[in-house]
Amino acid sequence: MWGKGLITGMKVTWGHWFGKKETVYYPEEKLPMTERFRGGHLAFDEEKCIGCKLCAIGCPNAALDLTVSVDENKKRHMESYVHQIGRCMYCDLCIEACPTKAISWDKNYEFASYFKEDMTYDALVEARNRRGNNE
Amino acid sequence: MAQTEKYVLNMGPQHPSTHGVLQVQVELDGENIVGAKPVMGYLHRGIEKLMESRTYVQCVPFTDRLDYVSAMNNNLGFCMAVEKLAGIEVPERAEYIRVICAELNRIASHHVFIGSLTNDLGSATGMIYAFRDREKILDLFNIICGARMTAHYIRIGGVAADAQDEFLRDTQKFIDYVPEMLDEYNKLFSGNEIFQARMKKTSIITKEMALKFGMSGPNIRASGVDYDIRKIDKYGAYGKFDFDVPLGKRGDNWDRYMIRMKEIAESAKIIQQALDNMPEGPYMAKVPKVLRPPKGDAYHRVENTRGELGFYIVSDGSTKPYRVHIRRPSFVNLQALDTMCKGMLLADAVTAFATIDPLMGEVDC
Repeated sequence: MWGKGLITGMKVTWGHWFGKKETVYYPEEKLPMTERFRGGHLAFDEEKCIGCKLCAIGCPNAALDLTVSVDENKKRHMESYVHQIGRCMYCDLCIEACPTKAISWDKNYEFASYFKEDMTYDALVEARNRRGNNE
Repeated sequence: MAQTEKYVLNMGPQHPSTHGVLQVQVELDGENIVGAKPVMGYLHRGIEKLMESRTYVQCVPFTDRLDYVSAMNNNLGFCMAVEKLAGIEVPERAEYIRVICAELNRIASHHVFIGSLTNDLGSATGMIYAFRDREKILDLFNIICGARMTAHYIRIGGVAADAQDEFLRDTQKFIDYVPEMLDEYNKLFSGNEIFQARMKKTSIITKEMALKFGMSGPNIRASGVDYDIRKIDKYGAYGKFDFDVPLGKRGDNWDRYMIRMKEIAESAKIIQQALDNMPEGPYMAKVPKVLRPPKGDAYHRVENTRGELGFYIVSDGSTKPYRVHIRRPSFVNLQALDTMCKGMLLADAVTAFATIDPLMGEVDC
């Protein structure tokens, strides 16, 4: 009978009328990010960093711009840790390259910006600000 | 007497019914199509060239961006080609995890096919159903590698991280859900008379034509050619699994749709077997930190969602590939578009685009 398939299809859609909703009310309700989630800004740990620049060497798109200074004891210090989001592919190679696990993703996904300048930030400054707020 | 003349209609690059940024110059005689010429290059990023200036490890995330709805399969193709070149043995557990991920991605990609096809045929509801289920797979990828589409999970020598129990458990849950999902799709669109009328006996590609065009993947199998690289080459762990290759008879739009529906069930079968026999052990082979494959070249092909995906890599013994060439299935399959559209009505052109399932990231590369 012509039209039987249409009615069967309608039954499926009507069946979902009272079913559980698949979506969440986004700004009010947020889904948790997974443990391995790659995204957001880089959370930098100044104490762990040894200034080896392996992260910048590992990056396929040169998204990391680092400045390292050497003090009188020949110890390396990070002066700036600039991450250009516009170039970043979120491939995780920088984080995997780090021998001391000094960087990780901050798992924030709400960092869309209106201006291009906002797509470049200094992870070192952000880390210091975060520490300043905590203390 | 009314005077008629042929005219050219541009579909795309920004048209709701073309997939991605594909432009098709459709030559029309009234409402009948005389010719359809795809114009490509709007998404060209020069990935092959970019790879020449990156190390082998750094090349892998670029393969995510080729066929961006089945990133795992691209990763797999490139990594296996480099492994062939450098002579790296992959641990068994990694092979199994790779198969699970690649097959999950195949299902997710077929969801996009079903979703966009039904949407192009005027049923936006169908798209929502397919994307709802695709979301379940993307959530699985989010658990295992932290990304939903640009996975970068399969690496040279194995996989990036071990599969957690949570991932394996949730995958099992999804596989248990697959029969119910397919049943719902069959009720919702396969049985629908309008859907069948639009799909059956339209845009036929015969066996001979499909072979002449060098088509591959579900498109050639819909024409009745038994050509599945998973069966022919048995690369990775595929030789250990028992699965069928569904074949079509007529090579029309309907066959191309049904092939994919059956392939979802077959992929689920493979994943079930992989989950049941998952070996223990390392997930990554010992790969030198600075990878320098010996001088020479290697070609490796895998069965991507859209067909035969091949990577040809030439090494000059340095850390970077001298040349990479990618054999992209969508690009080759798109040749058939003109033949498929000729003699059809304009509305059928949209169905032909959808069932050929081209992905512009891969076509333009």
